Amino acid sequence: MAPTAEPQPKKMASLLRLFAWLWALVLLVCILGLGWLVRDGLPVDTRLTAMLPEDHQSPLIEQANGQLGRGFEDRFVLLLSSSNLKADTRTLASTLSDADKAENHGTPLLAEIDWRDTDLIDSDPRQALDRYRYRLLTPELQQIIDQGGSESLIEPALRNLFSPTGQPDPVADPFGLLERWLEARDGSPVQARDGLLTVTLQGSTHALLIGDLAGSPYDIGAQQAMTRILEEFEREHPQATLLRSGLIFHAAAGARQAKREITTIGLGAFIGLVTILLLVFRSPRVLAQMMLPLACGLLLALPVTIMLFGRLHLMTLAFGASLIGIAIDYALHLQCDRAVHGRNFRLGRLLPGLTLGLASSLLAYLAQTLTPMPGLRQMATFAALGLLGAWLSVVLWLPCMRLPSPAATRRLADMLWRRTTPRRGLTPKIALLGLLICGALIGWQLTSDDSLRLLNPSPKALLDQERQVQQALGSDTGNRYLLVTATDEGALLNRLAALGGTLDDWIDEGVPLRITNLADSVPPPRVQQENLSRVKRLYEQPLDALVRQAGLDARVIERARTRLDDVPVLDVATWLASPLGTSQQRLWLSQPETQDSTLVAAALLLQFTGEDDQAPALEQRLQTLAADDDDVIYVNRVARIGELLGQLRKNIVWWVAAAVAALSLLLTWRYGRDTWRVLTPPLGALLGTLSLFALAGIPLNVFSQLGLLLVLGIGLDAGIFSVEHSRRASTWLAISLSTLTSLLAFGLLAFSATPALHYLGLSCLIGLAMVWCLVPWVRPSREHS
Amino acid sequence: MWTSWKPLRRALVLLLLLPGPALAFELTDLQGRLNQTEALKGRFEQQRYLADLDTRLKSTGHFLYERDTRMVWVLETPVEDRLVFTAENAVNGTDENSAASAGNDRQRQQVGTLLLQLLQGDWQALQERFTLDVAGTNEAWQVTLTPKARALRQRFTRIELKGADYLDNVALYAANEDVLKVRFFDQQPFDPAAAEAGDGPNR
Repeated sequence: MAPTAEPQPKKMASLLRLFAWLWALVLLVCILGLGWLVRDGLPVDTRLTAMLPEDHQSPLIEQANGQLGRGFEDRFVLLLSSSNLKADTRTLASTLSDADKAENHGTPLLAEIDWRDTDLIDSDPRQALDRYRYRLLTPELQQIIDQGGSESLIEPALRNLFSPTGQPDPVADPFGLLERWLEARDGSPVQARDGLLTVTLQGSTHALLIGDLAGSPYDIGAQQAMTRILEEFEREHPQATLLRSGLIFHAAAGARQAKREITTIGLGAFIGLVTILLLVFRSPRVLAQMMLPLACGLLLALPVTIMLFGRLHLMTLAFGASLIGIAIDYALHLQCDRAVHGRNFRLGRLLPGLTLGLASSLLAYLAQTLTPMPGLRQMATFAALGLLGAWLSVVLWLPCMRLPSPAATRRLADMLWRRTTPRRGLTPKIALLGLLICGALIGWQLTSDDSLRLLNPSPKALLDQERQVQQALGSDTGNRYLLVTATDEGALLNRLAALGGTLDDWIDEGVPLRITNLADSVPPPRVQQENLSRVKRLYEQPLDALVRQAGLDARVIERARTRLDDVPVLDVATWLASPLGTSQQRLWLSQPETQDSTLVAAALLLQFTGEDDQAPALEQRLQTLAADDDDVIYVNRVARIGELLGQLRKNIVWWVAAAVAALSLLLTWRYGRDTWRVLTPPLGALLGTLSLFALAGIPLNVFSQLGLLLVLGIGLDAGIFSVEHSRRASTWLAISLSTLTSLLAFGLLAFSATPALHYLGLSCLIGLAMVWCLVPWVRPSREHS
Repeated sequence: MWTSWKPLRRALVLLLLLPGPALAFELTDLQGRLNQTEALKGRFEQQRYLADLDTRLKSTGHFLYERDTRMVWVLETPVEDRLVFTAENAVNGTDENSAASAGNDRQRQQVGTLLLQLLQGDWQALQERFTLDVAGTNEAWQVTLTPKARALRQRFTRIELKGADYLDNVALYAANEDVLKVRFFDQQPFDPAAAEAGDGPNR
């Protein structure tokens, strides 16, 4: 037993020793458990969406969201432009389809890849719609027939009969009605050319490759294989350019960036920490002793978190690097005290401060585990466990270790004390005044930003490529839509057609919008009926004239007219089952998950094609449009996620406010009238940072708020210790070292390119600096008893 | 090729590298024949057989063909029409025709592309989609094309080409038993630069 424990009663000492051994046993179990859990590699999760709260909207909206989003995750699109398009496309396609996932030989990377002109050809859509064609007319044809211009349709019909490129069928469709209708349906910009699928982007031809991954886009093996293949291809074909689109590329970029930053920021913090500790304590052994609690904390946190959550999120690991900053506090306080007081060191004297420090940090973290964000819960659990492990190691093990207490440390502590102790302290009145000024500033100027961009770490170049591909393909990710319900299919189609008409009017007015409407493909029964009577009119005089001019047998007329008897009405199910209709299946909610069994529902997709500044006006207009009708709901998924982030941010405020209130009671019980001195560093730093944000016009978001949570935890530690041992140079040295190391660990995150980490780091950087500045001013003039 | 309209000589070199010496020889021979003319004009007679009606629709007109540039197809009887197939036409495929023009542009384009490849004897491009069967002699040759892809077989069962100095007869056998036969006659080479003012199409 170390001499430090000798004056304590024998019974207490043996109890402590027992606990120390027990703790060692627990850690041993943790090591074994961790070894067993990571036997197949660390189960790391890189999905940023795991950070998002689970959304509980109406089941119908959830069903629509699920259906609209399906198929996008595993799919990716490449656009290739090259002077030797055909050969290069062939090379790329065969490399991709032959590729295996890197470490997993025998498992193919892709399930499928389409790039030949024949790859997308389905069976002929005309067969499926053969008998329905007389009920399907394009708006132009409706207009021509209604205005008595049917004669003008004879000439093109004749050309179709006699031109070599025509495919006439004088009995079934002498006027080629179905051809026109199908042509209007086919909005695809994809062209078959030279054996390839091509699209035109800014005037140049690009080969199109559409791939389906065999596994998840978050699979790191798949990401690496894909990145390697494409980079190799680009290296070997310098004349070719590739545009990428698909979740796998964003996920890969995100994972790469997170890994890089964990390495640089984590390493930077570590090197800074080592340098400072060596400078202060002048002993590698002390350094090793400081690191021991950190290692123990991680050893407890890693296996337990994996066990609780199954997987470890990459953000949790990033946070783990930051954990260094807080967990070292306990060791610092203990070591500073021991270094300065040498043989007079007593653990008992530090224990209340250490325990309160742990309790306050745990409270701040546990508040986060109550949030609905799975990723955040995991981070908080990880951090809380790490802190607990570090604390136990400090209290149980460190006092037992004999260490040098160099005179240099003492001198440093004295010098710091002399240089940074102000002549006069802060009075409660001035503190209150500051509080009021800051409060006013925050209330008046602070803005907030809950947009989804914060979660998107993709580099700009990749986002540009994504935009270009989307633009070339005119594809829609189903982010904005109108959800329409009705009691039966006919009513639903009527409602969709009416909405489509309104939106078409908007588009004619110049509103930047593209719509995908089921009612454009399946006209409401009323319109289908009108179309059939139009065709009957067309088959009178105009058909006679056509047959005569073409020199066809008069029998053709009778046979053609006979086909107009018993024309079936095209219903949604038939259309969706036809080759062209399959792509619209996601719009149709055939069995809506509602209590009302008579309900049918469909989504009308809205794609915004304008500039960002036009969006709010459109948003407003769409909301007004939907508000007019109970059966129409306007859904904007991106905005909805932003809304959730905002809710989360507000929730955190309330939880933390409650935690601080509870803590204040606890502190008042111990510190009485000095409680304000404990609370001023953390709360003052919080308000100060927010005021600075307000002045600089930096909006508050959920991540900067998380950073402030850390400031609160570290600030509370500092406040507690500064009141607990107010006249001790060693305590001030420990507080200074603790804020400095935390600044290194968290403040460095301000330089992260990931928006989330950047904001977290920025608020820590400012907040922690303020904590350090505030502590000397509120130090009580006498020691707490 | 379609994109760059490379000279057929390059196609020829590539063909020599392909397996099947007998086929390559025959096609090469044919290639050499068709390749001698840079521009050609003449008349055509088209006969479309509609199996369902057991009817034959006849039309006549003239054509004008410049290698690697364009093909102009002028229908004279019984209706007047003018079709131009060019590289740009195939690239953009934008048809600004009014509502009065019938048809599926995409499909039209594909048929147009096929026609051009047939007239040019663009064997390399055709071989990707068809099995080529060559027979006959230099003075009376015959090529039969059978589609490889199922999607294409749903439209054509086979295509037959016959000719001597030039391509003289094309017959497309559609899957629904319709047949499109085109006979070319009065074919003669011409100088495209000189003809520009006269029969040149105004694109």
